[in-house]
Amino acid sequence: MEEKLKKQRIGVYICHCGGNISDYVDVTQVKDLVKNEEGVIVSKNVMFACADSNQKEMVKDIQDGKLDAIVVASCSPKLHLHTFRNVAVRGGINAYNYTQVNIREQCSWAHSDTPAEATEKAIGLIRAGIIKVSNSEALETIEVSSTRAVVVIGAGVSGMRAAIDLAKMGNLVYLVEKEGKPGGNISRWGDLFISGKKGNDIVDALTRQIKEQSNVTLFTDAAINKVSGSLGNFNVEVKIGTEILNLKAGAILVATGFDSYRPADGMFGYNQFPSVTTLPEFKEWIDKNQGEKLVFNNRNIKSITYIYCVGMRETKGTNKYCSRVCCTSAIHNSIQVHEKFKDINVYHIYRDIRTYGKQEILFERSSKNGDIFLKYDEKLPPFVEQIGGKIMVKVKDELTRNQEFEFETDLVVLVTGMVPRHDSLELAGKLKIPVGNDKFFNEIHPKLRPVETVINGVFLGGSCQGPKNISESVQSSLAAAVKINALTKNPKIQLEPIIARVNFETCVWCGKCAEVCEYDAIHPLEMYGKTVASVNEATCKGCGICAPICPVDAIDIAQYSNAEIEGMIDGFMQLVELNIEGKIETTEEQGSSAGMNDLPQIWRRISASLEVAAKTIPALATELDLNTEMITYHLMTMNKYSLVEAEGLDDNDEYYFYKLKKL
Amino acid sequence: MAIIDPGFKSEIKKYGAKDFTACYNCGNCTAVCGLTDKEVNFPRIFIRHGILGQTEEILRSKELWLCYACGDCSETCPRQAGPGDYMAAMRRYAIASYEPTGITKLMFKSNPVFIVLTLFFALLLGFFLFTLKPDYEVSRWLFNILPYAVIHNMGLVIFSLTGLSIMWGVTVMALKLTKSMKEQEKSKSNWVSSLMMVGKELATMNRYKTCDAEEDSFWKEQPWYQQPWFVHWSIMWGFIGLLVATVLDFMLKDPATNIWWPSRILGTIAGIFLVFGTSLAINYRFKKVTKAYSQTRLADWVFLWFLWIAGITGFWLEVSVAFQANLLINHVIFLIHTIISMELVLLFAFSKFAHAIYRPLALFLHFQKSQNKN
Repeated sequence: MEEKLKKQRIGVYICHCGGNISDYVDVTQVKDLVKNEEGVIVSKNVMFACADSNQKEMVKDIQDGKLDAIVVASCSPKLHLHTFRNVAVRGGINAYNYTQVNIREQCSWAHSDTPAEATEKAIGLIRAGIIKVSNSEALETIEVSSTRAVVVIGAGVSGMRAAIDLAKMGNLVYLVEKEGKPGGNISRWGDLFISGKKGNDIVDALTRQIKEQSNVTLFTDAAINKVSGSLGNFNVEVKIGTEILNLKAGAILVATGFDSYRPADGMFGYNQFPSVTTLPEFKEWIDKNQGEKLVFNNRNIKSITYIYCVGMRETKGTNKYCSRVCCTSAIHNSIQVHEKFKDINVYHIYRDIRTYGKQEILFERSSKNGDIFLKYDEKLPPFVEQIGGKIMVKVKDELTRNQEFEFETDLVVLVTGMVPRHDSLELAGKLKIPVGNDKFFNEIHPKLRPVETVINGVFLGGSCQGPKNISESVQSSLAAAVKINALTKNPKIQLEPIIARVNFETCVWCGKCAEVCEYDAIHPLEMYGKTVASVNEATCKGCGICAPICPVDAIDIAQYSNAEIEGMIDGFMQLVELNIEGKIETTEEQGSSAGMNDLPQIWRRISASLEVAAKTIPALATELDLNTEMITYHLMTMNKYSLVEAEGLDDNDEYYFYKLKKL
Repeated sequence: MAIIDPGFKSEIKKYGAKDFTACYNCGNCTAVCGLTDKEVNFPRIFIRHGILGQTEEILRSKELWLCYACGDCSETCPRQAGPGDYMAAMRRYAIASYEPTGITKLMFKSNPVFIVLTLFFALLLGFFLFTLKPDYEVSRWLFNILPYAVIHNMGLVIFSLTGLSIMWGVTVMALKLTKSMKEQEKSKSNWVSSLMMVGKELATMNRYKTCDAEEDSFWKEQPWYQQPWFVHWSIMWGFIGLLVATVLDFMLKDPATNIWWPSRILGTIAGIFLVFGTSLAINYRFKKVTKAYSQTRLADWVFLWFLWIAGITGFWLEVSVAFQANLLINHVIFLIHTIISMELVLLFAFSKFAHAIYRPLALFLHFQKSQNKN
């Protein structure tokens, strides 16, 4: 690899963060020390590095001082990486000739009780940053061209709704459905809260709209066979019967939905007693029941018992999560029962209950219906047994002094939640998207990047990502639709250039890098009459797993080259000699109260004194010229941390001698 | 293993329990109540007992009677489930359940039955009263149909029935309440000091004073003599004072004509308290000053109005006796005064009035138990 030119005109900016940093880290001393580093020509303290005025000053410094690289020592790059990249660009240097050093989260906040050490660490980190930036090379963002087409997997309510909007925004949409007809889970459901519409009415309306859109193609009975390519240029093989279709798409929206949890045989009598069913089964069945009387399995139903959280929120099992839509669904179902049939006693046996948001009125309505709520502990679940044709339920009610109740019921409905589809792992494998502990597909960040996956161009919509009700499912799939359109509408997609790069001269194509690549980004390529590894720029995430695997050291990661990383380690390991006299100024208040800032100092002095001989507290106080309370406090703390130990009483049997504990 | 009776909810609705099924068991009502502690728990748990149909739990509890119905819980309830009114309904249910004849059940559950029975008893009492004035024409006509002895014995039987009913009720209650107490709790306690504590509470209403006593309470702003505890104190001691005065009068064999006799002076003072207390209570219920006064059942109205009318007519009679005015109107007033006063006594076991004996009993047992704790 060619030797890069080192940057020789570096500007370093050390931020006070208004005291967040400067209260603990001696920023003045840091500034003075790093000024002497090789290549540094500007070293400044700033109150707020991110402030507009300071940004302007930095731009001016770069231009006037002909700086070729900058280091900003302030907060986490998660906060201001792009801010200062822009500053660099405005000043006229490459955005990647800038390094952010985090001395707030990693120094002042983490070590607020040991300010001298925090300062030491800050200097080390900044030295590392300076060497890194001096070895940095200018990079350009990667541009990828994109096909203006989207594959939407799953024609449930989320997929259909997103397909319509994607089409309206000008994308060609392929809607792929595994079943024989579109609709998914909601086509099984009757009256829906709040609209009162039936699931099938919604499906019909969406199907009509899809037919009106000329640029949506719906494939039914179709399965995803294979996915290749990357952002902008995916190749999706779809299998319909025996026929295989090849679809080209710029992005993929996964909207495959969920399965309902199926209890094990015998769980609360499921599949054992005829009068035990699950909520999804009962919901379907009650929509079909049109009679005056509620009859289930030839049994006249006068009382129904719902058991909540079945298979969900298990502290020991696999489904640790709350499916969160089931409370609402069960209560809504019980209200429908009351509306359709008269004089039915309803028991709700729950662990916790929440019909969140606007649905809270359902809970109120349900309690006003006179339904009986009983609360059980996970460790003491209700017990269902059939005695001579009668279904008996036993439960310890937390709401009534933990008394155990027993009552007869005609029907037990197990309120089961949403689980990932049985085939979700298979699809995850094909798309190379990760699943979480709950086995649902995982987004990058639950709050900040909720519909994107780690695979560029693959997005999530609806309940394939976790339990959601209909409106939440549609919200997420529409969010994904807009994110997708933002990508596909540009003929060129901009990507971060921090990716793996192969030195073709040294590469001998052993294939080890391709084996470990989680993103399938490395493939062999014929070049210069030999086979070498080639990195797909659109798929590579720059994770770096290939670099150490390479036996001939032919791979490095942009911004994390050997020179940069080794330089950073060297920089960090250099000795830091702090000027103790110029130590942090403690304010009057701090000095007189807890003295937190002095704490390690006192420990050191106590240790030094005890190293000579074991001493009593008054003796230490006299020697170190501190009051006995202060000595007692610190000595006891040191004792707690096993740094010192007591050893015998003094002549008056009044004070213990303390000595250093040998480790 | 407890059983659940889902039908009980509709039964207690007839006693005036209204929106209690809206309860979501947050327990704010119990937390805000000044009379609850680690051992003493209400109203939330009673709503549970009601919803689940645990009648024995309700009938065996002292706590039901420790509540003075200040309504603080109802003010606090986030679901408007009316725990305060619910407790009142539970007490109605308990009064009706302790009493053996079933008359109370009929009266509390149906207003028409309540009115018919109240009027019937009034007529019956009027009928007896005429027998006290044998020289009246109506009386002479009555004696032609029924001999004096028969009527006299009927009166004895009816009043004994009341007496027996309340004694039965008190016995049932005492048995049920002590059932929930452990043996050692009963044996170790000093009943004399418990009795003293009951007496102290009746005299001072100290527990009642802790009700609805927060800084933001409506009553905090009002003078002490307008506060509920004093209103209750006035009615209670007013009635007791009048009862003692009347008994003394009869023991002196000459229903007092001289208003300066000690028994008459006692009657006058007690009457002032009774009329003062009932007037305020009626006023509060009309104006619905707080949530506690917002729901008034017919039984509450009749009880209050009867006390008020008895007090007012008593004063009228005292004045007319003092001025020796032998007018017809005074005879009518006398009739009303006596009928109402006697009906209050007659219906003692079958009305809200029964709390006057159930509450002190529950308090006594509560003190017996709490003594042990200390």
